[in-house]
Amino acid sequence: MSELALPVAISFDAFTSLGFWISVGIFAGTFTIFTLGLQLNVGYTGIFNFGQAGFMAIGAYSMAILVTDKGMNFWVSLPIAILITMGFGLIVGLPSLRLRADYLAITTIAASEAIRLTALNARDLTGGAQGIFGFGDSWDEVADSIEGWLEWLGWSNPDNLAPLLIVVWGVALLLTLTLSKAQRTPWGRVLRAVREDEDAARALGKNAFAYKLQSLMIAAALGAIAGFFLAVNLAFVVPDSFGPTFTFLGYAVLVLGGLTSYWGVAVGAIILQTVLEGLRFLELPISEVKVSALRFVILGLVLIGLMAFRPQGMFGKREEMVIGD
Amino acid sequence: MEAGTLAPGEDASPTERLRDFGRKRPALVALGVLATIVLVLIAWKGLHSVAQRGLIGLSTGSIYALGAVGLTLVYGILKLTNFAHGDFLAFGAYMAYLMSVTWELPLLLGIAFAMVMTALLGVVLEKGMWGPMRARGAGILQLILMSIGLALVIRYGIQYFWGTELRNLDVNKTDTVELLGLRIGRTQGIVILVGFITLLGTGVMLRYSLLGKRMRALSDDLDLAETTGIDTSRVILWTWVFAGAFAGLAGVLYGATTQLQPEMGFELLLPIFAAVVVGGIGDAFGALAGGILLGVVVEWSTLFIDAGWKSAVGFIVLILVLVIRPQGIFGKARAL
Amino acid sequence: MTDAARREPIFEAQGVIKRFGGIAAVDGASMSIDQGSITALIGPNGAGKTTFFNVITGFYKPDRGTATFGGEAVLGRPPYVLARMGMVRTFQITKALSAMPVVDNMMLAAPDQPGEKLRNLITQPGAVRRREAEVHEQAMELLDVFNLAKLAEHYAGTLSGGQRKLLELARALMTRPRLLLLDEPMAGINPTLGRRLLDHMQRLRAEDNVTFLFVEHDMEVVMGHSDRVVVMAQGRVIADGTPDEVRSDQGVIDAYLGGGA
Repeated sequence: MSELALPVAISFDAFTSLGFWISVGIFAGTFTIFTLGLQLNVGYTGIFNFGQAGFMAIGAYSMAILVTDKGMNFWVSLPIAILITMGFGLIVGLPSLRLRADYLAITTIAASEAIRLTALNARDLTGGAQGIFGFGDSWDEVADSIEGWLEWLGWSNPDNLAPLLIVVWGVALLLTLTLSKAQRTPWGRVLRAVREDEDAARALGKNAFAYKLQSLMIAAALGAIAGFFLAVNLAFVVPDSFGPTFTFLGYAVLVLGGLTSYWGVAVGAIILQTVLEGLRFLELPISEVKVSALRFVILGLVLIGLMAFRPQGMFGKREEMVIGD
Repeated sequence: MEAGTLAPGEDASPTERLRDFGRKRPALVALGVLATIVLVLIAWKGLHSVAQRGLIGLSTGSIYALGAVGLTLVYGILKLTNFAHGDFLAFGAYMAYLMSVTWELPLLLGIAFAMVMTALLGVVLEKGMWGPMRARGAGILQLILMSIGLALVIRYGIQYFWGTELRNLDVNKTDTVELLGLRIGRTQGIVILVGFITLLGTGVMLRYSLLGKRMRALSDDLDLAETTGIDTSRVILWTWVFAGAFAGLAGVLYGATTQLQPEMGFELLLPIFAAVVVGGIGDAFGALAGGILLGVVVEWSTLFIDAGWKSAVGFIVLILVLVIRPQGIFGKARAL
Repeated sequence: MTDAARREPIFEAQGVIKRFGGIAAVDGASMSIDQGSITALIGPNGAGKTTFFNVITGFYKPDRGTATFGGEAVLGRPPYVLARMGMVRTFQITKALSAMPVVDNMMLAAPDQPGEKLRNLITQPGAVRRREAEVHEQAMELLDVFNLAKLAEHYAGTLSGGQRKLLELARALMTRPRLLLLDEPMAGINPTLGRRLLDHMQRLRAEDNVTFLFVEHDMEVVMGHSDRVVVMAQGRVIADGTPDEVRSDQGVIDAYLGGGA
């Protein structure tokens, strides 16, 4: 029930098709934005946020509902949806951020599942299992313009997913840059202190709780933005896209790239997405379902292996791997 | 805030005393709240409905309880938040399927097989993964992520071998049994019976047997227990044997009353976590009570909400407990 | 500062009670600390000193009692508020933040940093930069005083135990405290380092009028370096006076030798 909903547009005999790899690239970009939030929370504040998929859902659904149900302009709906998601971040964070690390993990998963459950059952609002579609017109217009520029730049007949690839990565890189810089500020320093030892931070006059809340709300906003890209990519929002498996994949990206490396997130996302999708094309004498299952078995093994043998991932710093509990 | 304003010698206000009472006798308070809820429900929906749903709830609750006992002991002793525990239940269910449907052996053998295999799984993982990681001083995030990786491996391993179709254990799901004017599926009745006997036996074992006492001692304070000369590594292994065996049993029972599918593990994980939290982490008796309580409450909720929202009730209970009394009904008020 | 002003109480606690379960770890403790003084809090094991310490620094919630710092009510308020008011504590097991460089540890502690608020990063980048530079300079100066300057860029986790203790003290001083509460500052460090710490304390008291309260077991340190000694036993203050007065107090002797009852 919580499998990833993948775009129907992928065709299996298109291994060398540019369109396929552009699609992979879009997912990688979406994952990057999604996981940047996790990095801020886990790598830099010490908050085990396992509900990021829930925030993604709130962002995507809020946008979809505002556009299709309330007739709002797509571009106006985006910042409003972000604010709504940050509001949820506040609601989830207020009671749970004072709990210890493992309780927070359970609570955030529960919150995320509660959100998915609501999306599934509140049919009047969310369309239930069928979901919502038809919010992408404004984006399509922009995509057409971008395609026009690409042609003008010399790419004859660009793939119609190319604009989304460019935009998602533009946003991803911008966010990575911003977070990187923010980390080197006094604000970032307080977060790092909270990450290791809240009591030490408090004894030095820092309101640790407020900082944790800020961190969670920013991650929620990042989740919402990832949700927008997912929604536009699939052209629909359904509850199945926002299961905990998505969060677990985000964590895999996180640990692969390395806790405490924002730029590592992008690298981890690209590698993971490439490996997972590339597996489709192995000439194995087994059915599609089995290949699909195998991908996640490998993911699980990767997670276990990394944690056992190289917890700092590719670009993480071993000295900063102290997440207090 | 009383603290800054009460001078020494002043008497506590009634609200202060009430809150103190709540803190010292949480079980009584919980019982009181539960009794109130039951009375309100009976007044609203009638004794028959409440009792009927309650009976079904006992069946689900026994399954939660069996899962929760194992999880809470592992949690309490090893400080391991085992996100793969739900998949242990799924593993057990599929092992039973293998033996009794694929190999067409009696279901009773299937159940035994499930329990043995899941216990074995627990032990192998302890020796091969958890033990070595603990020895290396692995941090809590590492362990959580490893358990998630493990959950993925088990769940999708099951999917690899058995696919995503729903499967059924060879049990009669339609026969019903009547008890005091209440109807319940025969299988569910058996689940309640099996569940209660096992839980009772577990309770007795934990309370009176040497191993049980040692397990509870380790769960209470591992370092202290080590200094008293208890062979902690053996107790830990036995803990995994129990956790695995009960998880396997719970999985089979769950599969018997519903159906088998690879996601069943995760579906069960959160209610089991809720039961553990409600009862107090590391408190085995609490987990038993928490599981039954949760099963019953979730079933009662169907009296006035759509069945699709059932899981939400579990979450609400979990969140409420974590907000109001994070140490659970039976847990001690440790600084969290 | 005149002698009279020095001797005014900067901190007063009255009737503090803290229960765990049914037992009162602190059972009505009262004390008063004069500005610019060095006060030691001693007592046999289980006397409630650490609990009292944690209560007045905001890490435990009290059940009863009042306390004022510089005239303002402080009991029950969160630790970060107290720290900002100038009541700063250190920890028995040092909390030097090992995942950060030494200089970051120091700069973290400086008060009034606009850069710590997200909003200011966008609206006042100049002010943020200026204060950062200031704080960095102060941090390096202070590190120099404690002979830690050459370790500034090293991760605090690589420091020795004694160096971490010094770092924690230096870091506490970055906050410009008025009252510094030290939790067993001498624990686990060699005598030479201990003497240096005590010298720093005396100097800070003389030059900056910092007030000290420390919990300690080392009687030599207590008797030789404090102005006042407060003795706790079974959750209450049983003696409060100069080292000599306390040393010869029968109640104190009984508490240490007798125990129980």
